[in-house]
Amino acid sequence: MATQTKIRKSDFHPVLRIVVYVIIGIFTILTLYPLYWLAISSLKTTTEFQLNMIGWPQNPTFRNYPSAWRLAQFSTLFLNSLFFTIVSTAAIILLSLMAGFAFAKIRSKFTGFLHGSFVIGILLTLQSIMVPLFLMVNSVGLYNTRIGVLIPYIGMGLPMAIYLCTEFIKSIPDSVVESARIDGASYFRIFSAIVVPMAKPVAITLAILNVAGVWNEFMLINILVSSDALRTLPVGILKFSGPLAADYGRQFAALMIGMIPMVVFYLIFRKQITEGVSAGAVKG
Amino acid sequence: MFKRSTVFLLTLLLIASVFVPATFAQERVTITVLNYFDLTSPGAERELQEVWHEFSNRFPHITVLREDLFLEPFHQKTEAYAAANQLPDVIYMWPGGRSTTLHTKRLVKDLRPLLGEDAKYFSEAVLAPQTAGYLAELPNTMTSSHALYVNVGLLQELGLEIPETYEDLVAMVPVLKANGLDTILMGAQDDWVIQSCLFSTIVGRLVGDKKMDEIIAGEAKFTDSEFVGALEFYGRLFADGVLHRKIMNTTYGEVNGLFAAGRAPFMIDGDWKVGNFITDTSTGEALIPVDKQDEFKMIIFPAIPGEINPNSASTVVGTGYGMSANIPAGSAKEAAAWELIKWLQSVEVQKLRLETGGTIPSRIDVTSDQLEPLVNERLGYYALIETGTYVLDSVLAGEVYLPINIGLQEIGLGLATPMEVAERTQEAYDAWKANQ
Amino acid sequence: MKKAAFWTEERRAYLILVFPAVIIYWAVMAFPTIFSFILSLTNYNGGPVFGNPDVKIVGFTHYVRMFNDKYFWISLKNNGLIMAISLFGQIPLGFLFAYVLHRKLIKFGDFFQTIIYLPAVISTIVIGRLWQSFFSPYGPFTEFMRRFNPTWENELFFDPHLAILPVLFVILWMYTGTYLIIFLANLQKIDPALIEAARIDGATEWQVLTKIILPALSGVIVTTAILAISGSLKSFDLLFAMTGGNPARRTSVLALYMYDNAFRGAPKYPLANAISVFMVLLSLILIMVVRITESRFGGRE
Repeated sequence: MATQTKIRKSDFHPVLRIVVYVIIGIFTILTLYPLYWLAISSLKTTTEFQLNMIGWPQNPTFRNYPSAWRLAQFSTLFLNSLFFTIVSTAAIILLSLMAGFAFAKIRSKFTGFLHGSFVIGILLTLQSIMVPLFLMVNSVGLYNTRIGVLIPYIGMGLPMAIYLCTEFIKSIPDSVVESARIDGASYFRIFSAIVVPMAKPVAITLAILNVAGVWNEFMLINILVSSDALRTLPVGILKFSGPLAADYGRQFAALMIGMIPMVVFYLIFRKQITEGVSAGAVKG
Repeated sequence: MFKRSTVFLLTLLLIASVFVPATFAQERVTITVLNYFDLTSPGAERELQEVWHEFSNRFPHITVLREDLFLEPFHQKTEAYAAANQLPDVIYMWPGGRSTTLHTKRLVKDLRPLLGEDAKYFSEAVLAPQTAGYLAELPNTMTSSHALYVNVGLLQELGLEIPETYEDLVAMVPVLKANGLDTILMGAQDDWVIQSCLFSTIVGRLVGDKKMDEIIAGEAKFTDSEFVGALEFYGRLFADGVLHRKIMNTTYGEVNGLFAAGRAPFMIDGDWKVGNFITDTSTGEALIPVDKQDEFKMIIFPAIPGEINPNSASTVVGTGYGMSANIPAGSAKEAAAWELIKWLQSVEVQKLRLETGGTIPSRIDVTSDQLEPLVNERLGYYALIETGTYVLDSVLAGEVYLPINIGLQEIGLGLATPMEVAERTQEAYDAWKANQ
Repeated sequence: MKKAAFWTEERRAYLILVFPAVIIYWAVMAFPTIFSFILSLTNYNGGPVFGNPDVKIVGFTHYVRMFNDKYFWISLKNNGLIMAISLFGQIPLGFLFAYVLHRKLIKFGDFFQTIIYLPAVISTIVIGRLWQSFFSPYGPFTEFMRRFNPTWENELFFDPHLAILPVLFVILWMYTGTYLIIFLANLQKIDPALIEAARIDGATEWQVLTKIILPALSGVIVTTAILAISGSLKSFDLLFAMTGGNPARRTSVLALYMYDNAFRGAPKYPLANAISVFMVLLSLILIMVVRITESRFGGRE
């Protein structure tokens, strides 16, 4: 099948192909060079970095890594990041599939209003709700607790997730749901047996979006938590980087520590996107 | 119900604290602290050990719950706490500027009564009333927000001398340019830098604190010839090639390495920048190695034509820790919080800060014999300042100094004239005044 | 009995499915937003919010102040430019990449796909810091250009009209991958048999693109446009880390302008909230324009 499409590749004009290669090549360099630069910079001492910003380090040293790790207590931060990322992503996917299914396939006069309110949520910026959110979390006694971080993370991920899930589930033919109803299946049965398996592609998309989002989130966690035992990696990284920060060596090491897990996660998960997406395609 | 029981408990506590202080003096007290802490500063590890752990050792009955933040996250958190009226017991503060809310809303206590007799250990100037007219934080230092750092070694190589007047400085520009060097480096991407580290000093020289007091009181205007003259002189720095527009695309951290590497013979920054050049105790490395430090000098900006305050530079008291106004007076908590604030400006701690970061002590009873040449240079630098003048962002309200901060960048980039910036600042001042 | 009639299985299922998401979302986002809208009409200015006798309703004065501020307009213009690069740069490029990858028109498709999406998983703060250093007047970009012209000075950030260029460039690089993934996912939903049939009937690549693929993706294009619009109006992190809005606020955007008012100097929450209300309204209007355009020119889903 795929071979047949390849046969007439020739009518993709050679000039066009070169243009595409050039653009893609530029993107590739733009992505790989900064990563390379970050990696070699983390092997320089602060002093060396300031004197030699782009070259290969003269005395490469890994000293920055243990030093940054210890100073910012990265072991704790790491586990916290994992916890918040996994739990909030799982919750967002489940809740948005549920709501998306209801919005897409169960008729209700509330859908317009409720779904609309989520769509507006896509447009809200974190900065604008930061202070009121802090006041609320504080007044209900959830300040500086895990749950007090998780709920806002889930709430903030929901608008986009629900929008995507609703759109996706809408594309499942109504007849699938209707025939299951005629066969006597309950809505929950349809949800768990039909919708969830079919929703794998959208679930994976959501996972990628949210994992990257929560893993890198720094503003909210900083506001909602005061004890180091609950903080996440970005807060630790931010301790090393800022316009006044002078310790470049440890700063770059900290940036690498924060970035590597994400890149590894993505490289592993990447295959799944293609699989998940093509699984969806068979039915579409 | 809940309220009544709380009141009851509080009363009990109060009674207990009044009647049985002796028996329960060692009762555990927990205090929360919001600390501004730069993990990247040289000596950060030592500070954790010798300041915070040491406090716990000395006062085992006081449990300190410390929250370390730095830069923007710190300010976000402070504003959030202030909005919820949930300030931690002890909080790191500036004498004005970005801590304005804490001062003017009186969210922190006046520390002067608590200080009492101990005031004699501090120099008089650092205990002066702050933004809201009282001692809201106990300052750790007296700083000059302006210093002209000179790479004397580099100047000598080029056959140049340390400039005494502004004209001397201008005369060097072509020589430096011919050698592919910049004249003065600044890390001025953030807009507070030019205002705080350079323009405040220019205002001190050409306008003077007396006139500034009149402007602040509304009796004179930013659009008066003196203030506009200061802006015009600042604009001339760019026209004369002393400053280059690219300072506005250089970050505050980036400039350190550039200066140490000799990309220009001069750098303008706060005197605190010294801390970044001396030896980092955790790696033993220094941006300017100890044996090279003799080649660097700190001077104040050379004489400006028409200046009324020669040899002046902008100075301000340093940061320190304040105490939440929510702590009941006379409580065990207050005693514990004060114990901590006092410790943070104790001889031991100030000595450590002097040795690791080159911070000049606010106490008069701190000395050390193990200082690097640049730290001694910084101590000597204060002798050069005949008059200390205002740092604008510590005497003006945020709404008023922001147009100056941005205006200074605009003048440098040729986007606004000095008069336009003065007018905009005056408008901002009028709007601010109307709201008071 | 009546109750049973009202609570049909359909209604009960709807309620149970929707309830958790709605409750959490309303608590976390909708209420704070309403709260911030109300604050935008008051003179609240720091200190306790509740039971503060100084807080009064002042109507729309903060909105007037906002519209009279030149930096508001500079920020808005930059948001406009970011939106333009998103709509006319990221989306077409994202589509182009997705198309050539999906149709396997170039080699190493897997590798390129990985690389192009990679920036999206890296923290924006990291990316901002990297590119700031890269474009610094003393950074690699300047060094590189000096190989060709030793006296070249990096003036990119100084011209008020050009200062935003490096930022736009980074934004284009950073988010194109997101659209690539979205388009790719949806391209794979198109039945390959349909394309096969067309090809067997002698359709050219161009005809396959315009007659089959684009019409099938029209709904997705609208979705990406909406994402691009809301994303561009919200952009904050990258600029925060890369330029901080400077020089002279010439690279500021609305979210940064709002942040400045809320967290820099003395807080001006009402003004800050007025700005965020304006941002939401503006995105709503723009998205309605997109929707109307879509129905007018009849994309089919």
